[in-house]
Amino acid sequence: MNAPIGHYQYDSVDRDFLAARIDEFADQVARRIDGALTEDEFKPFRLMNGLYLQLHAYMLRVAIPYGTLDSRQMRMLAEIARTYDRDYGHFTTRQNIQFNWIRLEDTPEILRRLASVDMHAIQTSGNCIRNVTSDQFAGASADELVDPRVHAEILRQWSTLHPEFTFLPRKFKLAVSGSPEDRVAARFHDVGVIARPGPDGTLFRIFVGGGMGRTPAVGKEIFDSVREEDLLATLEAILRVYNAHGRRDNIYKARIKILVEALGIDAYREAVLAELAQMDMALYRLTPDMVAAIRARFAAPDLTAPPDATATFEADRARHPAFDRWTRSNTHPHRAPGYISVTVSLKPAGGIPGDATSSQIDGLADLADSYSFGELRITHMQNVVLAHVRQDRLFDLFQALDELGLATPNVGLVSDIIACPGLDYCALANSRSIPIAQKLSARFGDPTLQEEVGRLRINISGCINACGHHHAGHIGLLGVDKRGEEFFQITLGGRSDNNAAIGEILGPALPEDDTVDAIARIVDRYLSIRELGETFLDTLSRLGDAPFREAAYETA
Amino acid sequence: MKRPTRLGEGQKLILTANRLLDGHIVWRDAAGQWRPSITHAAQLDTDTAQTALETLDAQKEGVVGVYEVAVHPGIPPSPVSVRERIRAFGPTVHPEFATELEP
Repeated sequence: MNAPIGHYQYDSVDRDFLAARIDEFADQVARRIDGALTEDEFKPFRLMNGLYLQLHAYMLRVAIPYGTLDSRQMRMLAEIARTYDRDYGHFTTRQNIQFNWIRLEDTPEILRRLASVDMHAIQTSGNCIRNVTSDQFAGASADELVDPRVHAEILRQWSTLHPEFTFLPRKFKLAVSGSPEDRVAARFHDVGVIARPGPDGTLFRIFVGGGMGRTPAVGKEIFDSVREEDLLATLEAILRVYNAHGRRDNIYKARIKILVEALGIDAYREAVLAELAQMDMALYRLTPDMVAAIRARFAAPDLTAPPDATATFEADRARHPAFDRWTRSNTHPHRAPGYISVTVSLKPAGGIPGDATSSQIDGLADLADSYSFGELRITHMQNVVLAHVRQDRLFDLFQALDELGLATPNVGLVSDIIACPGLDYCALANSRSIPIAQKLSARFGDPTLQEEVGRLRINISGCINACGHHHAGHIGLLGVDKRGEEFFQITLGGRSDNNAAIGEILGPALPEDDTVDAIARIVDRYLSIRELGETFLDTLSRLGDAPFREAAYETA
Repeated sequence: MKRPTRLGEGQKLILTANRLLDGHIVWRDAAGQWRPSITHAAQLDTDTAQTALETLDAQKEGVVGVYEVAVHPGIPPSPVSVRERIRAFGPTVHPEFATELEP
């Protein structure tokens, strides 16, 4: 087989490892079923293989390293949804997919089928380094300085079953970007890595100690210019300091952000430098040959477009207003002339954010084959990207997406809502997230209204674990339980870009229906008080939250 | 040791778990059978529920994660918390996945 476009090509070593791992897990499942293993003994094993026991059934979370997969892998996800689940999958905020209705006894077979297309569920749970995330426009974006997938893959291989970091104090999340615009929420990760070219090779700016959860924190810069050859040693040292000093006595204080806050970034940096000083740097050196060997496992697409591709595209836009509108919200500039990147929204008005049926997943795989070199990316916004689309073929793609019910023109707009599964599925949640997301997206479903509102991001979490990233939402909603009833706390001003900030609580939590009305009033107030060209965050920054508080808590 | 669930006036306890093989939610009836519908779950007082929790063998009965749920008595009983109502009747966002109740 030719190397896939967009992600690393497995070899026999990778495949033998996966096969052995599945055999091991199949034996653990058999021993659990016959009672040789208790649930307490089995739980760490199943979590290491992505298998949770959730509210209604087992849930299997499948890893999609740096969010990139090919069409045969996408079709396998559809096949698993159809055969072993209830005909749909849910794309997550860590660029993975999860299946909510899995049977324990089917799991080894599912993992074997995933392995047949070089996929697995490792690093999707447990106190290890989780699936590495990256920019959904990696290798395609016009503003990109360094393609981050090569280093994301290097970090995936370095972190997978790393013997020293398999039992960290808590889970550990890494994101890698190569663009000056932070599209990976680098500053909200345990470690965020931003690559850029230097005079003598790639340099890495590294942030540590970011995170969401009950103690949200914006990551702090620990190093500005780590050389490529020192990248693994530096990350190893950062992890070692955390592994040695991170708290294990209190699950709520076990993330690296707590340690960074307790020590202070300067002391943390000193500890890392001390660790580096006593490490055998030659052992950890990431050589140009190693990087080149990984880069060679990625095939490059032939990005030759006809000279009139852009003219054809502009003519299509002029002829078809709905296409033009969708283009404005759902496309991103490509580095190659005549090409464009497309974000397929999985957020139809009134729909469940991130859900896709098996036929939609199959359909997306077919469209990837026809329009984007057989390659797809899952975004942390719970959408799907076709990264390399020829501009003169974009209108055909739009029509094909429309037939699949996947042409919603709302990416980055108010109905492009991120929501965790919430109490409808999650064993940890206090309240449901999906119903309020559905109500809000229906309320703001009118495409004209959404364009008028402009860039506005709503994030919803069903509990303080913040899987819906509400701290980073321009408008954030946190579900809380008040004597058995669902209420929502509103935060304003969160963002996960270069100016990352944690949203601030607006006031007392509101019942669900009142919350929908309150958000609508906040948006109305923004429209009435904004100045020309101001985004919601601009207006909030200029006037503070008082006008929005007044609107939110206004009583009829 | 886990503290017994506090009951409001007129409330009862029922026992629930997930089935080991498929994870699906089940409810224990008066005969000690685990059933997918909440309709005929045995409605117990605190002491009886506690005794049942201490004596049942989850592995032998093919279930995992057994615990008690406070309910308003009736047929079917109605769980007090939103969480348990969702477990009993299915996710609210997929009506087609609603749990079928036995008559």
